[in-house]
Amino acid sequence: MKWTDSFRIVWRNLWRMKLRTALTSVGVMIGTAAIVAMIALSLGLKDNAVKSLENFGNLTELPVEPMYWNEERNEPIPDDERKKLNMAAVQELKAVPGIAAVMPMKRLYEQAKLKVGRREGYVELIGVDVRESADYRKNDIEKGTYLSGSPQEIVIAYGVARELRDLEKEKREERRRNASGGRQSGGGGVEYWGPPPDMGENQPTLNLVDKAATLIVTREYRVDDEPKYEKKEVRVRIVGQLIQAEGNRYQDMRSVYAPFEMIKELNDWVMRSRGDEGSVSPRSREQANQQNELVFDQITVKVESREQVESVVKALKEKGYEVWSPARELETINNFFFVIQLVLGGIAAISLLVATIGIVNTMIMSILERTKEIGIMKVIGATVFNIRWLFLMESGFIGLIGGLAGLGIAWGAVELVNFLGSSSDVMQTMGMGFGSSEESSRLAYIPSWLALFAIGFSFIIGLLAGIFPAIRASRLSALQAIRSE
Amino acid sequence: MKEVNHSYGTGKIKVPVLFDINLHINQGEFVALCGSSGSGKSTLLNLLAGLTKPEEGKIFVSGEEISRFNENELCLFRRKCMGFIFQSYNLLPNLTALENVELPLIFSGVSGKKRRQKATEILNRVGLEGRIDHRPNELSGGQQQRVSIARALVNQPSIILADEPTGNLDSKTELEILALMREMNRENGTTFIIVTHEQEVAERSDRVIYMQDGRIVEKRTRPA
Repeated sequence: MKWTDSFRIVWRNLWRMKLRTALTSVGVMIGTAAIVAMIALSLGLKDNAVKSLENFGNLTELPVEPMYWNEERNEPIPDDERKKLNMAAVQELKAVPGIAAVMPMKRLYEQAKLKVGRREGYVELIGVDVRESADYRKNDIEKGTYLSGSPQEIVIAYGVARELRDLEKEKREERRRNASGGRQSGGGGVEYWGPPPDMGENQPTLNLVDKAATLIVTREYRVDDEPKYEKKEVRVRIVGQLIQAEGNRYQDMRSVYAPFEMIKELNDWVMRSRGDEGSVSPRSREQANQQNELVFDQITVKVESREQVESVVKALKEKGYEVWSPARELETINNFFFVIQLVLGGIAAISLLVATIGIVNTMIMSILERTKEIGIMKVIGATVFNIRWLFLMESGFIGLIGGLAGLGIAWGAVELVNFLGSSSDVMQTMGMGFGSSEESSRLAYIPSWLALFAIGFSFIIGLLAGIFPAIRASRLSALQAIRSE
Repeated sequence: MKEVNHSYGTGKIKVPVLFDINLHINQGEFVALCGSSGSGKSTLLNLLAGLTKPEEGKIFVSGEEISRFNENELCLFRRKCMGFIFQSYNLLPNLTALENVELPLIFSGVSGKKRRQKATEILNRVGLEGRIDHRPNELSGGQQQRVSIARALVNQPSIILADEPTGNLDSKTELEILALMREMNRENGTTFIIVTHEQEVAERSDRVIYMQDGRIVEKRTRPA
């Protein structure tokens, strides 16, 4: 018996009792629609939750700190037992499985001003270990190159170019605006105008890479309670620009990365003045003391993939580091949605069980009805296998029809939910769509694996429901079947 | 070619139906099984078809002991070697004449085009040109029986078992159907074993086997 023939026979039988087929498959349809819609919704919600977490920072980049509090004994960890963020720690972190790269950082304790041509702006100057961080940053360069190790090179974050403003020109234009458009002088009018037109025009072409720049650091010291300022200028060259970070933390956007040596020198210069003064805070003195043994302010590790974040966080905690990451919230989110999926899955499973019983019932009925037909088929040469196959396929198709219909309904429901969600700003009120306006975030979506799974699953349910009726059909005695009217 | 050779007593509830039946039917014979109701002729036919199993004894068809086959082997054997004609035709009501005839070929896995050609050929042969797309309820009893003969023949079996094929037909149609069966018997050398209690059928057979109370009481061969 050929496949195509058997499918044709099955299809004809289903078509003959179309009302019954339709009603039976409605059970499967409802179950499948429930499962698919619920999974789609929870996947969508989870995605939105993860996405909104990502807005607080790149999930795979974790800042590492020494642990200050022993949770088991509930007491602070004394200074000498506390981990130090030195080169040894860097090596230890690098050995943790799942960590792709480690970037030790040291910040400049004063704000620095970056000046390129006539543009200038305040930046966060961060010293990095060139060798270690090259690994970390190898995929993050948008333009130019990364620090090569030669002195006086810097790499700027994506946002730096936007931070720099031509102050002279702005002042000039503001003056002009005030002079000509005095009538517009409503409160905050200038602010409302946004970035000066000049910037908007120049922004796309504003390229700082391969430009010479000046870093200006100011130190403050007091002579007879009179504040005095002293400036130090360092000439540098901008060799590269990083890609836009996934997170949008302000300080990340205006970071400037420079080799350690430069930062150390600048810090020394800033500290020395304060040390001379004598009235420094204990914190900065401690930092000054540690300068010699090269202790970093912060170490950031990059995890290979988002899935490994949780295990890395756990490993780091065991080693005595404290990690804060939005990724830690992932665990909570995962648990939450797992429970939701479990509950919804349970409801859908029950409806599918009922649907299965419905299929079994329908099949038994139709076998009773077709007893004679089965007998005839057996007499004219259908084997036991043929009969079983026909009835298995028949019930499998009932399941499949239900599954397809259910998938269609679920798809419609998902579209509806997304439509309502996007039009009534449910996302905003739920705090889900925060900052992700570039891509239309969806409340629910059906991935292809879910669609395939739903179709396959409903077909298999039909098959399972058909096993018992099919065996029953094949066991019918041909003789009795023929005689029955 | 066939050696049907069995002695047995059976019935669903242990009512003995057949006793010590020894029978041999040759290839190409046209045999009538006659007897009154309850004489066991239908049971004998079912045994030959492998639809029931003998309680005792052995049945050989074409040298193979079908009484030892399992159900699946019997199905395959029937598909290959046997055709059936029933008193009540037993056509599938929702299929056309052509589709009914095609059905055995479908189970044998014959491809669509060849199947249709073969079925059309044989329907033409039994005199149903122009009727092949009709459903059974649009056909007369005689025409339905012709369809069922066509269905029995389409696999080119060596034996055709007929259970009162003319029982539901008027005498004129009965004669037509009988003539058709004899024709098929002569043309293809197909063995026909016909259960009947009608004299006309018996008269047109090569051999008549009379049964009474589960025994063969008389075998009469028609003079050539």
